[in-house]
Amino acid sequence: MRSLETVELTKAFGGNLVLDKTTVSFQHGKVNALIGPNGSGKTTFFNCVTGLIRPDSGRISYAGADITRRSPHAIARAGLGRTFQLCRVFPRMTVLDNVLAATRPRGVNLLRGAGGRKETDRARGWLTKLGIEHLAHAEARNLSWGQQKLLELAGVLMSEPETVLLDEPAGGVNPALLDRIGALVRDLNAEGRTFVIVEHNMDLVMSISDHIVVFDRGRPIAEGPPSLIRTDERVLGAYLGA
Amino acid sequence: MPSVSKRLATGIAIVAFAAVALAFPELAPNPYILSVGIVVLNYAVLSTSWNFVGGFTGYISLGHGALAGLGAYGTGLLVTKGGLPSFVALAAGAAIVAAIAIPIGYAALRVRGASFVIVSIALVLVTLLVFQSWASFTGGSRGLNVPRPFPGMLRPEHHRVFFYLFLALLAIALTVWWLIDRSRFGLGLKAIREDEDKAETLGTPTFAYKLVVFVVSAFFTGLAGGLYALWFGDLDPIFQFSILTGSYMVLMALLGGVRNLFGPLVGALIVGSALEYFKVEFGNTPLHLVATGVLLALVVLFMPDGVLPALGALLRRLSPTTETSIREVTAGEVAAIGGEPQHAQSRNG
Repeated sequence: MRSLETVELTKAFGGNLVLDKTTVSFQHGKVNALIGPNGSGKTTFFNCVTGLIRPDSGRISYAGADITRRSPHAIARAGLGRTFQLCRVFPRMTVLDNVLAATRPRGVNLLRGAGGRKETDRARGWLTKLGIEHLAHAEARNLSWGQQKLLELAGVLMSEPETVLLDEPAGGVNPALLDRIGALVRDLNAEGRTFVIVEHNMDLVMSISDHIVVFDRGRPIAEGPPSLIRTDERVLGAYLGA
Repeated sequence: MPSVSKRLATGIAIVAFAAVALAFPELAPNPYILSVGIVVLNYAVLSTSWNFVGGFTGYISLGHGALAGLGAYGTGLLVTKGGLPSFVALAAGAAIVAAIAIPIGYAALRVRGASFVIVSIALVLVTLLVFQSWASFTGGSRGLNVPRPFPGMLRPEHHRVFFYLFLALLAIALTVWWLIDRSRFGLGLKAIREDEDKAETLGTPTFAYKLVVFVVSAFFTGLAGGLYALWFGDLDPIFQFSILTGSYMVLMALLGGVRNLFGPLVGALIVGSALEYFKVEFGNTPLHLVATGVLLALVVLFMPDGVLPALGALLRRLSPTTETSIREVTAGEVAAIGGEPQHAQSRNG
């Protein structure tokens, strides 16, 4: 089953063609990885898919529906959640509020209180799962980089996405935390969540991915399981090296 | 989470302010001082109204003076041309301002940062031009006289009644701000202030949120402008549609603290009183503008979060606390959760 799919997706910044008629699909219920050299268009691809950047042409579909022109919040509500390459939290809000801010607004009662017991319990549950519950009332800006990465992930998971796009989750985190993130991805995948992960840490990618897509100059040059990608000549030439 | 002592201190401050405010008309030595109290309260309502947008979303509008002017003229024209009772005109005028704010917000809130500020300034200039030029309807530069709602009332009594009306309006505006602050809607607005794109990707319909709070802000700003029209009774477009009015709202909110419910009120008490002092002492010189500029520079340089947060930080430093700093987590605990020791380099703040 196809989860996320693009057809001839194109995006240029000035004269720099970043996505060049990119046609690619990611599998539902799997841990997918998107790898490639710096500047190959991975983050731009995420930005187009999540609606933060309008593609110049092409089509993006998710679970069979065309989401090409939808707003980012509508795409999020359709079930696509994401983290950012440079970790983004709400710095002047508490850790708990950062997670509660990801709860879906329900109904039209604008003055409905934030963080009812059920929502707060769920938010604390994610914080506990990620090991930062003891920081619930700290301002997010006072957390370390690694803790902010975990907080960002907690926020995304709180928004109940079916598919999670992780942009370099291992960037700047220590090995212990890396193992924790890898295990979490695997656990959540076992519960049915689909992942698409942009990552340069090949140990992490090869250990947790079911399916890998390799980008070079805005186009997919190879895709398949880790065992196949490791030995693909084009991938070795463009990215992994000998 | 606010501590018990903080809640107690806030409660005591609210009761003290309410007691002083309620007693002020009786304590004021003359009608002039009472009228200064009304001007300060008017500023407090305006600044609190501005803070619905500025405080929650971080969008700095210098155009709220135009919304206040529209509320004033709307009320005045509904009384003089429409023949409506004063307070019906006040409510209708504010509703009209809120309705006008929908298309204005729809256009202006599509841009962020400096672009939004420039659009908001344009709003003041356009409305000034319209109300000055359309003399047959607005009175143009000759101004508009708004009949008093209580014709037989003597001036001191008139001031006293309007002091309490402005106080009641301030209480309502503060209550609504507080309700939004603790709501899911408010959390979404604050997320917009922190990182709008991030809030969007978490599923918050940021544009709709901004538009709703802009309309709420316009409604209260319109009410403040309309009440001023009924109190003062003489409207001149050059003062009603002034860039200075919006600037004062921003300055007061920044001075007191935009993230704090009472920040704009505290700012209005300081700036409003200071403006009146400068006008009395130095007449029509631009010295009050110089002082305002210096004050704004000082706030930005030394108290970027405002007076109330600065006072709170000072009190926290002076009083011993049992709260545990997050930096006191032991190395063992950090290792157990798979985190990493905190160090200055890795922090955003």
